[in-house]
Amino acid sequence: MMRRIVMRRIGMRDVAMTSPAALTRSRAWRGPVLMAGVIALAALVPVLIDKQDTLNLLFLICLHITLGQSWNILAGFAGQTSLGHAAFFGIGALVTRTLWLNGMFFPVAFLLSGLAAVAFAMLIGVPTFRLRGAYFAIGTLGIAEVLRITVSQNLPLISTMPAAEIAAYNLTLRYYVALALALTTIGAAALLLRSSWSLGILAVREDEEAAQATGVNVLGHKLLALFISSFFAGLAGGLFAFQQISYYPSAAFSPVWTFDALLITFIGGLGTIGGPVLGAIFFILVRQRLAVTLVEVHQIVFGILFILIVLVFPGGLMGAWDRLRPRAIAEALRSRRQLHKS
Amino acid sequence: MLHIEKVAAAYGDVQALWDVSLDVQVNEIVVLIGPNGAGKTTLMRTIAGLHRPRSGRILFEGTALHTVAAHQIVERGIILVPEGRRLFEGMTVLENLQLGAYTRRAKQQRDKTLRHVLDIFPLLAERRHDRASSLSGGQQQMLAIGRALMGLPRLLMLDEPSLGLAPLIVRHIFEIVKSIKEEGVTVLLVEQNARRALELAHRAYILEQGRIVGTGSGSDLLHNDEVREAYLGYAPVTARTLT
Amino acid sequence: MAQNIVYGLFVGGIYGIAAVGLALAFGVMNVLNIAHGELLMFGGYISFWLFSLLGIDPFVSLIICIPALFLIGLLLDRLVYRHVARLRGEAKIKNSLLISFGLVLILQNVAIRLFTADERTTQVSYIGQGINLFGIALPYTRLMGLVIALVTILALHLFLQRTDSGKAIRATAEDWEAAELSGINVPRVYMLTFALGAALAGIAGTLVSVTSSVAPSIGLDWTLKALIVVVLAGTGSIIGAFPAGLLLGLVEALSSIFISASYREVVGLVIFLLVLLIRPQGLFGSREAA
Ligand SMILES: Nc1ncnc2c1ncn2[C@@H]1O[C@H](COP(=O)(O)OP(=O)(O)OP(=O)(O)O)[C@@H](O)[C@H]1O
Ligand SMILES: [Mg+2]
Repeated sequence: MMRRIVMRRIGMRDVAMTSPAALTRSRAWRGPVLMAGVIALAALVPVLIDKQDTLNLLFLICLHITLGQSWNILAGFAGQTSLGHAAFFGIGALVTRTLWLNGMFFPVAFLLSGLAAVAFAMLIGVPTFRLRGAYFAIGTLGIAEVLRITVSQNLPLISTMPAAEIAAYNLTLRYYVALALALTTIGAAALLLRSSWSLGILAVREDEEAAQATGVNVLGHKLLALFISSFFAGLAGGLFAFQQISYYPSAAFSPVWTFDALLITFIGGLGTIGGPVLGAIFFILVRQRLAVTLVEVHQIVFGILFILIVLVFPGGLMGAWDRLRPRAIAEALRSRRQLHKS
Repeated sequence: MLHIEKVAAAYGDVQALWDVSLDVQVNEIVVLIGPNGAGKTTLMRTIAGLHRPRSGRILFEGTALHTVAAHQIVERGIILVPEGRRLFEGMTVLENLQLGAYTRRAKQQRDKTLRHVLDIFPLLAERRHDRASSLSGGQQQMLAIGRALMGLPRLLMLDEPSLGLAPLIVRHIFEIVKSIKEEGVTVLLVEQNARRALELAHRAYILEQGRIVGTGSGSDLLHNDEVREAYLGYAPVTARTLT
Repeated sequence: MAQNIVYGLFVGGIYGIAAVGLALAFGVMNVLNIAHGELLMFGGYISFWLFSLLGIDPFVSLIICIPALFLIGLLLDRLVYRHVARLRGEAKIKNSLLISFGLVLILQNVAIRLFTADERTTQVSYIGQGINLFGIALPYTRLMGLVIALVTILALHLFLQRTDSGKAIRATAEDWEAAELSGINVPRVYMLTFALGAALAGIAGTLVSVTSSVAPSIGLDWTLKALIVVVLAGTGSIIGAFPAGLLLGLVEALSSIFISASYREVVGLVIFLLVLLIRPQGLFGSREAA
């Protein structure tokens, strides 16, 4: 019963909701095979290509997939537009960097980055989730800024890896960590959407009051989305700390991380699994391409694109793909038919 | 004067009006009655331009209204006193009235109209510098009507002006509606208080579940059995004994 | 100490002007323009360039800066915000916030391209001079800034209370549908409102360029200041944002005395968060106004 009500509210808008159903159709094998192919290729890149630039680019794409997807879990699935994502990223970076450079085994320090972000998220989650919509957005922005300023006051010095670590710097290793993290985040988002919680989470996004009325534990579902979101955002920060040779600790708390997550997710398609992936690839490639010649122009382009997406094209790249696909298929069919005739 | 032709309206996927057709002639009082949720308010808002019809046409003296912005409809002399009064509560009585004459047409005669409106509602004159929110329910309704009159309506539409008011005040408001009509203003009135409204009406329409299900002169409907049963509180004897 | 408090009030006057501009768009249109700080930044640059290229005194160049920002405001409303006008309530606030985030990116980077990322201050000849009153230094630039802020607020107050256009703005803020039913052209009111808000940002920006400095990156900080003040005042209140701005200036001054100068930014944000969570209607706002 609840499922039906919620489904009707969610309607056709949600691509993520329709994809599991699509999987049961006959050509369902294509998706997984394609995915396995892409993963295998991504895993083989360091073996095939030995250009540090390319590897670095791929590392950045993976980092930003994680960043975008983690924001998407909270904002796209649960509808809570947080502008405080940088706080989780920053905490993750701070924890991993500090513990790791003080001699902790990296995997443990890395895992702790996610857990520390979660701990902080749970602390602020209960009070901030009382705020709705834009108030939640500016409230979380305020929290992130408090953290950023506090960190920059207390840790004003640049953090640099020890010389021995720099000498042994291994980008390939970092790339594999990033790839694994990105895949895990995507997997977690996909699992979440197929779990029994997905309906509740999406219901909260569509209409909080209606969800409450149908018996959904609204706060619980929001906290669950925040839990997963902050965990992966923290890990992304940990990864950043692992990769950067030197950086100012407060840089990881910069609102730019939040803004990039927003851009990536909206460009790719808010509330879809594929959105942040496509968005991150597009974002990093365009940024890298334009940064060479015109430093500021890519930001202007993203700004315009972002406004257009919010105003006229809410589906982003995923939405565009979905809208174009039926036409493409129809055209393909028509041309095939004509081939038969002739 | 007002000609509504097969208008359909919807909120998202929920359709509220289906093929509604209705006419108002110059200097008539036309009444629209119907149960809760029938779509009366939706129809009023659609005429006033706050809501766009899905299909159909709305013509005022031969020109289309359904493509025109709400404030321009006001400029043409069609003014709605909305359901729930919708006063500017943080502003004074006088400011509310002044804002009623915001169109170019009405602004030219604002002071003259103001004197006239305050004559009709002497209570408002006394409280002209008070906040609208401090008025009683009846006074607020009078202010809402006064504000509409400030715009020099040719067709005045009232959406349940008697809602939540004491009987004595309701009677007063109906008298005012009648006198407004006598000044040459055409009136389209939505009412739950069907008996009083029908007594006043030249003609009436019945709207149920988004459709016009009946029409006739006011007195015809007053004496129609189905209408009496549904809207005037006369239950057939058999039904009453059963309950 | 007294010196600190006086400086707090000077700064608070700028906060007030910046916040009233933001509160106008928010209170009347339900538009949460986080690019407000960027508009302020452009105002600052206009006065900086008029001074350094043409030698026009920044307080005089306001007569160019104000109309320029007003025009930018008109344009942004036409090009961008007009398209969210159909949305209502929560959805509108959220979408306007998202859109203005896009504007932040555009405006900030346009500024970097046009003006480079350097910090600039309008160095008027009388910059160090001032009056000394009972041992408290009152620099002319700051005094002028406060006077201009007060005059601006008074003018805006009179405009909103006395003129037909001002009344239309207030009516639209209360109930846009009832405003339309009174014959008010609500899209036009929105345009005027947004442009006025931008003009106020221009005034604030001029004061910032004279009393501290402008750079393309200052936008977010000023948006946050304005947001803090708007939340303090209560989101329904427009003119009320001005005293709340003075209050923030004062609180910051006191906190740099009693806590630490480096935490003055944090104190404002913490108060902002507390007010948001505990009294969403603002410190001064009544529950129904919120
Ligand atoms: N804003 C809205 N969104 C969705 N549905 C609405 C909205 N307003 C009205 N409706 C629906 O449209 C239908 C007609 O409502 P409307 O308010 O026009 O009825 P009404 O005849 O004026 O009722 P009442 O006597 O209660 O005033 C109802 O089913 C109502 O639930
Ligand atoms: Mg109604």
